[in-house]
Amino acid sequence: MRISRRAFALAAAAVLALPLSACGSGGDDGGSTDASGKVEGDITFQTWNLRANFKSYFDGLVADFEKKYPGTHVKWIDQPAEGYADKISADAAGGTLPDVVNVSPDLVAPLAKAGLALDLDKAAGKYRSEYLAGAWASHQIPGTSGTYAFPWYLNTGPLFYNKTLFKQAGLDPDQPPKTYDELFADALKMAQHSNGKVATLANVPTIEDFGRYGSQLMNKAGTGFAFNDAKGVELLTKYKELYDAKALDPQALTATPESTGKKFLTGAVAMNPGSALDLDNFKKQAPGLYKNIGITDQITSTGHVNMYVMGVMVNSRTKHTAASVAFAHFVTDAQNQMSFAKKVAIFPSTAGSLDDPYFTKEDGTDETRVRIAAAKSLKNAVNYTPVLFSDQMKTALRNEVAKTLQGRESPKTALDNAVKACDRLLRQEG
Amino acid sequence: MSTAPPVRAAKESRFTDEHGRRIRFGELALRYVLLLVVLAVTVGPFLWQLSTSLKGPTEDIFSSPPSLLPEHPTLHNYRRVADTIPVWDYALNSLKVAGANVVTNCVGSALAGYALARLRYRGRRIATLVFILAMLVPVEGIIIAQFTTMRELGLNNTLIGVVLPGSISAMNVLLMRNAFLNLPYEIEEAAYVDGADAWQRFLRIALPSVKGALAVVAIFAFMGAWDDFLWPLIVLSDPSRFTLTIGLNYLHGTFANDERLVAAGTVIAVAPLIALFACLQRYFFRGVGEGAVKG
Amino acid sequence: MAGVTRVRRQLPTSPWLFAAPGLLVVGAFVLYPFVTTVVNSFTDRRTLIPGRFVGLANFRELIHDDMFWTGLRNSTLYIVGVVPALVVLPLLLALLVQKNIPGITFFRSAFYTPVVASIVVVGLIWVWLLDERGLVNSLLETVGIGRVGFLSDQWLLLLSAMAVTVWKGLGYYMIIYLAALAGVPRELHEAAAVDGAGAVRRFLTVTVPAVRSTMVLVAALSSVAAFKTFSEVYLLAGPDGGPAGEDTTLVMLVQQTGTGLTGRVGYASALSVVVFVVTVALMLLVLRADRRDRP
Repeated sequence: MRISRRAFALAAAAVLALPLSACGSGGDDGGSTDASGKVEGDITFQTWNLRANFKSYFDGLVADFEKKYPGTHVKWIDQPAEGYADKISADAAGGTLPDVVNVSPDLVAPLAKAGLALDLDKAAGKYRSEYLAGAWASHQIPGTSGTYAFPWYLNTGPLFYNKTLFKQAGLDPDQPPKTYDELFADALKMAQHSNGKVATLANVPTIEDFGRYGSQLMNKAGTGFAFNDAKGVELLTKYKELYDAKALDPQALTATPESTGKKFLTGAVAMNPGSALDLDNFKKQAPGLYKNIGITDQITSTGHVNMYVMGVMVNSRTKHTAASVAFAHFVTDAQNQMSFAKKVAIFPSTAGSLDDPYFTKEDGTDETRVRIAAAKSLKNAVNYTPVLFSDQMKTALRNEVAKTLQGRESPKTALDNAVKACDRLLRQEG
Repeated sequence: MSTAPPVRAAKESRFTDEHGRRIRFGELALRYVLLLVVLAVTVGPFLWQLSTSLKGPTEDIFSSPPSLLPEHPTLHNYRRVADTIPVWDYALNSLKVAGANVVTNCVGSALAGYALARLRYRGRRIATLVFILAMLVPVEGIIIAQFTTMRELGLNNTLIGVVLPGSISAMNVLLMRNAFLNLPYEIEEAAYVDGADAWQRFLRIALPSVKGALAVVAIFAFMGAWDDFLWPLIVLSDPSRFTLTIGLNYLHGTFANDERLVAAGTVIAVAPLIALFACLQRYFFRGVGEGAVKG
Repeated sequence: MAGVTRVRRQLPTSPWLFAAPGLLVVGAFVLYPFVTTVVNSFTDRRTLIPGRFVGLANFRELIHDDMFWTGLRNSTLYIVGVVPALVVLPLLLALLVQKNIPGITFFRSAFYTPVVASIVVVGLIWVWLLDERGLVNSLLETVGIGRVGFLSDQWLLLLSAMAVTVWKGLGYYMIIYLAALAGVPRELHEAAAVDGAGAVRRFLTVTVPAVRSTMVLVAALSSVAAFKTFSEVYLLAGPDGGPAGEDTTLVMLVQQTGTGLTGRVGYASALSVVVFVVTVALMLLVLRADRRDRP
């Protein structure tokens, strides 16, 4: 469900793949990094759980590309949400990785280290200026040079809250918390008023929460983690307080995005982070709640909100480097990202696109309001999750956080342990 | 098979006349009550899932006390499943894979099981041990190695690649071995004296007596292939070759918070298995009589 | 004619031909990958990076890994919790469905449904049933007990997973017992009944001794399966294994540490080897007990 969580947060993802038919037995006959040749040949493009909702968009995209570059043929394949990392692992290990692969930054890092992702600074540096600087940088790996995927779509979202529950707890439904201190104070009050029946938060803090709270997360060289700094310990101490007061849901330790979403829908939890996508869901699943829903900005101490980034990488072993790079760029160019953004609540990573009237002009609906606020915050948003933070590290942090909340370890000890475990994994994962 | 008729006769005599009427009725009633309780526990969860899948978008599925039956049953959720994924194409692929798996497992494990149980040759014990060890290997750790092998054989992204690793499972071989072991030796010995070779004895005498065990193998093979998710996902790249389990995962990944839709998906996944079992259960329970699953 | 017979009897290769397909498939897709796993367990191999030989380093690290001991504890607890239930309950169930009263075929088949359904579907069904707002909690609330956090408490999660395992295994082992019971001579029961033994006494003095070796077999099969438990806990407690990973089983740990692009294949292989060795030991232990008990 790690993957469905990501998929849930982002709604979708995509991967470009090499044509398996053309794969033959070519093991180490690495393709060239030179993308200046003629754009031609058969390539495979693989997306991540996008077929169910966006089939016609991608069919159109492929047709446009083939028309623009006669002599190319793009085969589009799509993989389901679950098992995506396993699928890519097997393909990478077996030498059957597609030519162009839709990835998230944490998937790119190990592929790049294994030499399977094309360095776009070298092969496609000329396109760099087309993208938001922060988005382009999100597929770089600390400690190494190079950029290993085109940034594709971004997502971020507001914080939703239940006005009715705020009112019942004696809080002003029109004055939602704006800072972490206000959030914690409101949460404690909510728990007190409801006798612990209504929690305000439903999720334990993850690495991005530590980042947003102001913890350093990782040293600059990318050689060690640092979320056990003063800020990190302070955040975890606060969460422990909330957990004891039942202001953090008692079931937060086993929460999944699905379960917290459900809790918010049923009024068991007062606040929930989400995206514009969720509005539609609220309308359908809980029309009663929708009328009383409040929308406020993501809380951050650093001035930068968190964003999710999807990327499109090129397989360094592709036989058709020019065509693969051209297609990866085509998928992520301003025009195509813009038309994709109009189909689903995601945001383009191309420079200037967020100034489009679609992202700036109010029309009175909640959807537009959420979209405009998100687009504005994205201009300086940060992908807090370090690209080197692997699934195994996420598990290590999660387990230590849980131990603190259960009262088995002090916040400081837990974070020290987590940093130690993550540093060790960082060395072992090489 | 040979045990079934006498057992039945014994039961019937118990419930006819030699006991007093009240006791007989009492015991019978108690048995039915217990049977119904177990029925509720074993089948109830499936019916609840079916009920959830038939509830319309406006019906509260979280209510307390729960509403066991949908107020306005609708096939709406099933239609949405079909709109989201090409259910029929995927089901056809699943059917091909599961069908092939049934054939290979029945043939392969009957042959190997017969060799282990009946044929005398040097190395038989070792061959048996190989299958026992294979049954104990934790498969979760070997999937990438399996994929690499498949890739070297050039069978990745084919339905054959999906079928091959499970095409003759060690468990099924051992099941068939036990079934053959439980056959009386005498008949085969007579055939042996008459000059029938191993192949003839296998085909004409042994095999017809283990039909039930074969039904057990068939059901396990079908189930295994129909249910598998991770292996087909890893082997297949081309969506037109996807199996139903992968398809249903699209539902879960895309509509995780819609219980009704997920419920409809699970019903689609499980219904063919139950149907198959219902058709084969007669042979299946006969297989039990042959001691197919017995130690 | 004599010549033909001689030729037939002279085919020493034919047993191997019978066993060949099975041996080939099992060898290529189970044993060979497992040999790779054993080799990997002495290296620091990662998913995308070939490993170097590190001797016993992985096994030494394992001993100092808290999660390994948590996994070992849970896998062992699983045996303790599940095996007695799976040895006794299916036997009682078999006795219940053994008599051919009207409708019994239906009940037998129905009790087998959970075995036929895929574990993923079973997982989805039970997550939905045990959900805080699911059917079980709705019922508990209706009768005044209040809602129970089946899926949030460390121990309740493990218990729930065990319950699902037992629920899904009932029918399977019931069949094994049915086969064994069919072989128990009716005269034994009748003699005991004439002696005035009650139902419970007859169960203990006649039935249990008669199916004793089957009980040992069921204990062997179910403890091996219990020790390798993955799906039930994974589906109920989530990929991380419940709060603070406290519900992680050994095989889940294999999956957590070894899969994905950053998987530590070497370390996960060492875990796999440990799981394999323990299962073989379990099997031997039970077989030994069986041999001792056999009349």
